[in-house]
This record gives sequence, C-alpha cells and structure tokens, in this order.
Amino acid sequence: MIEIEDFRQKARAFLETMAPKYGRAAREGNTMEQDLALGREYMAARYDAGFGGINWSPDVGGQGLSNMHKIAYDAEEMQYGMPVQFFGISLGMPVPILMAYCQDKAFVKERVLKALRGEEIWCQLFSEPSGGSDLAALRTRVEPDGNGWRMNGQKIWTSWAQYCDYGVIVTRSDPTVEKHKGLTYFWLDMKAPGVDVRPIKLAGGDSHVNEVFFDDVRLEDEQRLGPVGGGFGVALHTLMIERYIATDSAGFGPHLDEFVKLAQGTEINGKPAIEDGRVRSAIARNHAMRAGLDSITKRAFLMMQAGMQPGPEGSLQKLVAVRSRQKLSEMAMDLKGNESFAFDPHAYVKTDWGASWLNAPTGRIAGGSDEVLLNTIAEKILGLPQDHRPDKGVPFNQIPA
Amino acid sequence: MSILYDEGQQAIATESRRVLDARMDKARLLKLLEETGSHDQPFWDTAVEQGWTALAIPEEFGGLGLGLVELGLVAQAAGAATSGAPFLTAGYGLSSALLQGGSDDLKSAWLPRLAAGEVTAAIAFAEGNAILPASPSVTYVDGKLTGTKPAVVGGAKADVALVWAKGPNGPVLAVAELAGAARNPLSSYDNTRLHADLAFSGTPATLVAEGAAAQALALDALARMAVVTAHEQVGGAEALLTIARDYAVTRKAFGQLIGAFQSIKHRISEMYGLVEIARANCIHAAASEGQSNFLIAAADARISATEAYDTNARDCMQIHGGIGVTWELGLHLHMRRARSLAAEQGNLLFWEDVLVNQLTGEAA
Repeated sequence: MIEIEDFRQKARAFLETMAPKYGRAAREGNTMEQDLALGREYMAARYDAGFGGINWSPDVGGQGLSNMHKIAYDAEEMQYGMPVQFFGISLGMPVPILMAYCQDKAFVKERVLKALRGEEIWCQLFSEPSGGSDLAALRTRVEPDGNGWRMNGQKIWTSWAQYCDYGVIVTRSDPTVEKHKGLTYFWLDMKAPGVDVRPIKLAGGDSHVNEVFFDDVRLEDEQRLGPVGGGFGVALHTLMIERYIATDSAGFGPHLDEFVKLAQGTEINGKPAIEDGRVRSAIARNHAMRAGLDSITKRAFLMMQAGMQPGPEGSLQKLVAVRSRQKLSEMAMDLKGNESFAFDPHAYVKTDWGASWLNAPTGRIAGGSDEVLLNTIAEKILGLPQDHRPDKGVPFNQIPA
Repeated sequence: MSILYDEGQQAIATESRRVLDARMDKARLLKLLEETGSHDQPFWDTAVEQGWTALAIPEEFGGLGLGLVELGLVAQAAGAATSGAPFLTAGYGLSSALLQGGSDDLKSAWLPRLAAGEVTAAIAFAEGNAILPASPSVTYVDGKLTGTKPAVVGGAKADVALVWAKGPNGPVLAVAELAGAARNPLSSYDNTRLHADLAFSGTPATLVAEGAAAQALALDALARMAVVTAHEQVGGAEALLTIARDYAVTRKAFGQLIGAFQSIKHRISEMYGLVEIARANCIHAAASEGQSNFLIAAADARISATEAYDTNARDCMQIHGGIGVTWELGLHLHMRRARSLAAEQGNLLFWEDVLVNQLTGEAA
C-alpha cells in the first residue's frame, strides 16, 4: 500500500492540475446548478485519476486504501475549495450503508460507481419535524402492502435532496413498541411517485436543505436494509461510519491568519488594532484552542497509523471549533465596522467574515447540536447519567404528546 | 520527537502517578497551607528518590538524559497531587539555562548536584507583574548582585538562584548561591510555593549571559518551564474533572443524581474539553523542544493549560455546592495552586503577547 505521505504528494499534484478549472476562484459567481454541474465533472475526473472511493474495496470500484489515505486526501482537497459539497453526505453515509446491507450486489456495484463519479447523488432522510436531536421519535410510517410496504410522512433538513437520485430512510414500522424498537431502514428512489421535495431557504440565503413529503410511496421489501424493527441499529451504524473525518479547527470558517491580517490592516481609535489588548487576547486564545484541536487530530491520525484506536477527544472538534468561529466572526465584523455591512449571499464562508457569521448557527446545529454533543461527551465519555426521559420504556403510541 | 508517548514514557506517567497517590496526604498539605516557609518534605524526598531531579539532565552530568516529555509527565502527576514544593520546575529552568548558555565550569559545578537532588533552585526573574522586566531593579556589577527580588517562588528554601538583573551592558543572567542573600519568607495563599523576597547586598554571583544573549536565554528558560508548568496545570485540571464527575454520580438532589442535570453535566463536559485541548498542546509543545516553533507551541500550551486549571478549579467547587468550599474537603488546595501556577513563569497577559508577537513576526 502506498505510504501516506507519498499519497498526499500525489494528491496535491493532482489537485494542482484541477484547481484552475474547479477550484475556489473558478467557482466564484456560480449558481448552485452551475456549481453542481462543475462538481459532477470534477468527481468524474477525480475517480478517473484514482482518488474516488479511496478507502473502499476494489470489488465495488474503490481504491482499496486505508481510512488514513482518505483523510489525507480530504484534508488536501479542502484547501482548494473544490465543488464537492453535494457529494459529501452521499459518499459518506448512504452509499456505505447500501454496500453493507443491500443483498443485490449487482445493483450495489452500479450505484456505487455512479455515485463515485458524481452521476448519482444519495441523501440521508433521518430528521423530522418532531425529531431532530431525538432521532427515534420519528413518525414517518410504513405499513405492509402486499409483498412490500407503503410509506407516508415527512422528513426535514435533508441536505441536497433536490438533486438526489436515491436516499436512505429510517421509518416507523411498529408504533406499539418502544420508540427505538419499532423502526425499519430502507433505501428509496427519490424520483418515485409520491415523493415531493421542497427546498428550505436558510438564514444565510441558500437552500441546500429540504423538506421531503411521502404520500403513499411504494417500497419493495428488497429495499429494506437490515431486519424489520432493526432500523435504529442501522441508523447508529450510519452515524458511526465516519467517526474520524477530515476536520477543520477553524470551524469551517476563515483561518486565524485572516483575522491577524485584518487586525494588522485596521485601526481602533487611531491605534493599530493588532496592538489592542482585546484583539491580541482573542488571537492568542483562538490560536491556543485551534492548535489544541489540530494536535488532537494529528495524534488521532498517528494512532490510527499505528493500528491503535484514537481517543474519544476527537468528538470535541465541531463543538469547540464552530462556536468559537461564530464569536471570532463577530469580532472581525466589528473590526471592519461599516465595511462589514456589504453582504454577498454567495460569499465563501472560509474567506468572508459576514458569511461565516451568518452561517455559523447552522454549523452549531447540523450534525449534532452543541447541547447534544455536550450530552454525548458527558454520557459516553465521562459516564454521567442520562437526562430524565419520560418516554423511556413506553410504547411509542403511548408517549404523551 | 513523536507526539505519541512510547512505552517508557507511559511507564513514567503510570509510575509517578502511582507513587504520588500512595504517598501524598491531603491532611499534611492542608496543615502546610497555614505555615509560612514550609514545604512538603516527603514529596521532595520522593522526587529525589525517584530520580525526577535527574530526568532532563544529560548522563555526562549525572542525569538520566531524558527530556521535556518525560519531565512533563512527572509534572502532570505532581499537579494532580498538588505537590508540595516548587523545585522540580525551577531546577529544570536553571539546568536548561546552563546547558544552553552556561560555561563548562558552571555546568560541572551545578548540574551533577541538581541531578542528585543535593541542591534546590529558584528562578528570580520577575518584579511586580513583569516576568522579565526591561530594566530590573536588581543590579549586577563586578560579579556582585544588589537589590531585592520580590516574592520569588522557592525563595524561602532554595540553595541557588538564576537571577535576571541589570548589568553595565544591558540585562544579565547570573547564578548566585542564596547563602549570601537575605530571605524574607512571605505568608501567601499557597505557602508550599515558598514565596520569599530575596535581598542581595553585594552577593557574589557568576555571569551566565548578558545583553541579547541573556534575553534569549531567559525567554527560552521561561518557555521550557512554562511547558513543565502547563503539564502540572493539566494534571490539576484533570484531577478536578475527575473529582467533579465522581461527585456528580454520587450526590443526589431533587430525587436524582445531580449529574443528570444538564447544567451540571454540560459544565463537566466543558471541563473535559479544556483538559483535552490543553493536554494536546502540552504533548505537542514538549515534543517540539529545540525546534523553531517551540515558543509558539509553549505559549499555546501555557495559555490553554492556565485556562483549564483556573476554570476547572472554579467549576469543580461550584458543582460541589457548600461542601466544596470547606477547608476539610481541600478543593481549595487546587484553587490556590491554579492561581499560583497561573502567575509563575509568566501569566496569561505575558504569554498572550509572546504568542501574538510570534504570529505577527514582531520581536518578543
């Protein structure tokens, strides 16, 4: 297997050749549709160059390398701002679950290849209006229908559903048992009759998430992934697939260097901002925090390379990084003063403080809210008791509304 | 140096923790809080017996030839135990300054005795809130020190001090035997730190470095000691995390364990986050010893560890409620130590400035 550092060099060389056509600068001013078209082209080029499905088995069209090779590639790719956002969830969770649970191997192989090349996109239909953090409270219902199932209900916050060809979904198949026990997991054709996707415009102005409605949607029993009533286990498996993904200690906002540059070029009351104690303290505290997160990531990476299981401290990354990005963005806007009012809804969150600030709340909620992450750390790492849960041990249909 | 501990390093961590767990005694430490100028002799005997004084000194001078990573691990165990003497860090400060910039005579005079634990050291740099005053009030002329260094950590007992003074050609670093200085021990909130004013009156001292070389050497010694102290702070902060967690799964209120309340469990999760970030910075800093990024890494470690220990002391006591503020429970041992360590080897104000100066390319 190719050494990680050699692979990283190879990846960087490839990305350099791709950047002029697909990188951040080339994407400037694109509509979402233009960006998606560009993204599909890039995914095909990436696959053809041997960087698709890096840690997947060659049997399904992957490269057969390790998880670390994938993380190394992703970390390099993140520097270039490639149009890959549409495919991250698709390849991150639904497609691996399909590979793990779907019995029709020919079907799987065809889907995997098309997903890797960006020709098809998969979404993950988990959250519902009545259950975001509380996944097992979902209400989308399936009922037996001949040799298959009939589905009714609604999902929400489904990323990129408006462009998706397929999805994976958790449904309630039995409301008479405890909430975790009556769930069943399926894959789904997003173009099937009865599926209605409606984009939701978010606070920052873009619409990458959706509501998805199901009206008597027919599911074949072959679309079931895992046993009837075993859907919660498959859902947990989905969320555990990528425990260590490429992280960003800047919280997916601007790098601290950008803040330092801003402070160096700005004055406060006629004095250089970089000499202001409040500004200096913010820089120093953020640097120390981000350096700690980077060191945690580096250590996890080295441990995986040495065949060890990384510690649980990796779970701090999003919690700590995104909320500090939010505050730093506010301070950056204060430094810019009146110049911070001008706003471009398509500005890039990693280079624009206004975009970083306005989209930060999404980051603090999506993929586990701060509060859920703090609960998870408390319960799973520190062994503290669960919250009071009145729905525990109660059949789903008897939980007080 | 790798940021993954090897087997030998892990053994040092486990063994130092085990020894201190067995030998430290809270009642003894509480009693010492009310005595001026006393330290915990059993802790220091243990440090010498275990070879901790020799860890980071090269074998040619009677040391074990290990480094900052190993010393950091011992400091972490000492921090968890709120150890009762400041000499490990100061001894390392003196020995590393001599190794980096001292004459052969100075090295052979002091390093073997420091390694063997025969002498204890103090670092007399600070005056007021300046850790490296631009124009120290203590002067160094013709091999003699004159003036007073206020509230020197370890000053009440140390045998030898590394002193930051004003010489004829700018700042100097000089080594002085403290038998030739007058000590005035202070009653402080953390008495085993042995704070004392050191009054020099023509006290003989040997020059280590002067001018820009003294400045660079002093900052390097401070950075190294800051990394040791940061490990000690992480040890203390982690101990408080464990104490808070254990209390939250024992104590009940309103019919349930208090750890089931989010106001408590989230606070403890935040304590965990502070410890892990500071620990990661400490490991990175210790492994960066001697590299060009060392000063930045040391500042990151020092800033995050200070924040972790102060915050965890504050929050651990809060989580305990009334019992947390009693003399007998002794959480105040950590609260006191968190503050005294925060002020030693340069406080947050100092290290934030060092870090930003490094990031912006300004001279420190």
